[in-house]
Amino acid sequence: MDTATQISTRAIIDEQDLHITTMRSAGQLIKRSLINTRRLPSAFIPTLAMPIFNMVSFSGTFFALTKLPGFPTDRSVNWFMPLGLAMGAAFSGVGLGFSLIRDLENGFYDRLRMSPTSRISLIVGPVLATWIRVTLVAIFVFIVGGLLGARPTAGVLSYVCSLVAALGISTIGAGWGLGLAFRFQDMRGAAIMQMSIFLTMFMSTAQVPLDVMTGWLHTVARVNPVTNIFRLSRSGWVNESSSGYMSWSNVYGGLIAIAVLSVLSLLFAVRSLQKIDK
Amino acid sequence: MTKNSIRQTLALGKRSTLELFRQPALVVPSMIFPLFFSFLGNSSFGRTTSLPGFPKVSSYLQFQLAGTIVQGVLFGSVTGAAALATDIENGFFDRLLASPTSRTGILFGRLAGSVLFGAFSTAVFIFALLPFGADVSAGIRGIIAMIISGALISLAVGALMSSVALKTGSSEAVQGTFPLLFILLFFSSAFFPRETMSGIYATIAGFNPISHLVEGIRALSLDGFTASATARAVLVPLAIAIVALVIANSQLNKRLRSN
Repeated sequence: MDTATQISTRAIIDEQDLHITTMRSAGQLIKRSLINTRRLPSAFIPTLAMPIFNMVSFSGTFFALTKLPGFPTDRSVNWFMPLGLAMGAAFSGVGLGFSLIRDLENGFYDRLRMSPTSRISLIVGPVLATWIRVTLVAIFVFIVGGLLGARPTAGVLSYVCSLVAALGISTIGAGWGLGLAFRFQDMRGAAIMQMSIFLTMFMSTAQVPLDVMTGWLHTVARVNPVTNIFRLSRSGWVNESSSGYMSWSNVYGGLIAIAVLSVLSLLFAVRSLQKIDK
Repeated sequence: MTKNSIRQTLALGKRSTLELFRQPALVVPSMIFPLFFSFLGNSSFGRTTSLPGFPKVSSYLQFQLAGTIVQGVLFGSVTGAAALATDIENGFFDRLLASPTSRTGILFGRLAGSVLFGAFSTAVFIFALLPFGADVSAGIRGIIAMIISGALISLAVGALMSSVALKTGSSEAVQGTFPLLFILLFFSSAFFPRETMSGIYATIAGFNPISHLVEGIRALSLDGFTASATARAVLVPLAIAIVALVIANSQLNKRLRSN
């Protein structure tokens, strides 16, 4: 074997090793996160309770909204269940940032950085663990929503679209939360995480459809990409006669918004991690 | 109350008021968030004012004004009570006990800060929303009654939260009551009228004391300066404040005995 072939073989092996190490490390971090969820249910329960509270309180308090002419559904729980799920997913995502701040403060993160762990796994692992948690939350929300009277209008696709939207929002929240945690490295980042997610979510069609809004919110919500994600999430829960009902034109905008925002927020997290390493 | 104990209460009241106003990071969120929700609600629910059961209003903001005031006062009162718990945690409370300070002055001095902040934030909410359509039908007398009501609500909620602070001695426990207040607020008529709710939600909102606190102020905002509106706005929070003060005083006595 000549030198060039040896170098090239070595590079392939290194790349494979790196891939295996990344996946193995990510797997360990997923396991750690899930064990933490089981051992510290007090940290997970709010994530579970928040979407339920949102769904129950909003659909009860704002029940009369469905009587507005042109409102896309006659069941308020159909409208507010995706909001509850989205809020739960967003806060599960940024919750990663809170955990990271704790790990940074207690020194655990320094130990991870000292170990021969792939840097990417420090982001991939927690994000995948969040996906598992968000799926659990979604199942719970769907069950409670069903008990409260939520009825899908597009069969299984209704659940799939809401779940995809929730996973997307959690990924965006996770990237943003991790990035801010890497940048600030203390609880100052936590306040920005919560505030920014909260404002972005509510300045969209979170509460009412675009047709019902008036004034400044209508202008902001129209250009807010989260509006597209809500359209995707609700496409299987509005009436078939509604303009927001399940169709490719109502779904693709949400998918693009999720893809673009996820890439941007995860890039922000990777760049912020690289800054720490430097 | 002797002259000395009044002086001590005033000094402690001054301390707690300055503490709140000198740490804007603690209290500003309790003013910014309710204002944000008002403007958000006005744009989101502006068209709902024509729904059957909705009271006659000039804008959703006029309806929402009372909810905004109560929301801000509730959150501000938690901050005040958390400061009392912090005094217990960092030993300042024990130092007060070691000094010949009036015992009730410790509690009332702390609550004075919350009451002043409640009155101040009520005035800020009214004057911030007034130019955008949150008219007060009761005029200037109504605004004064609303500010008094805001101060009394602050006293009532502050006293209840202070009971938690005195019982637990933990600022974390006091902050932990925040979600409970949030739930109470959302299951009340703070954001939407009870008349538009149905079933169990209408029943819960009917029993919820927050609904009655909000509706008292709302009556001044919508119905004008009438005896019944003023009585609702002032007497309901006053009654709750008296009960809350009795509870807080009993918790203070328990803590004194255990010390």
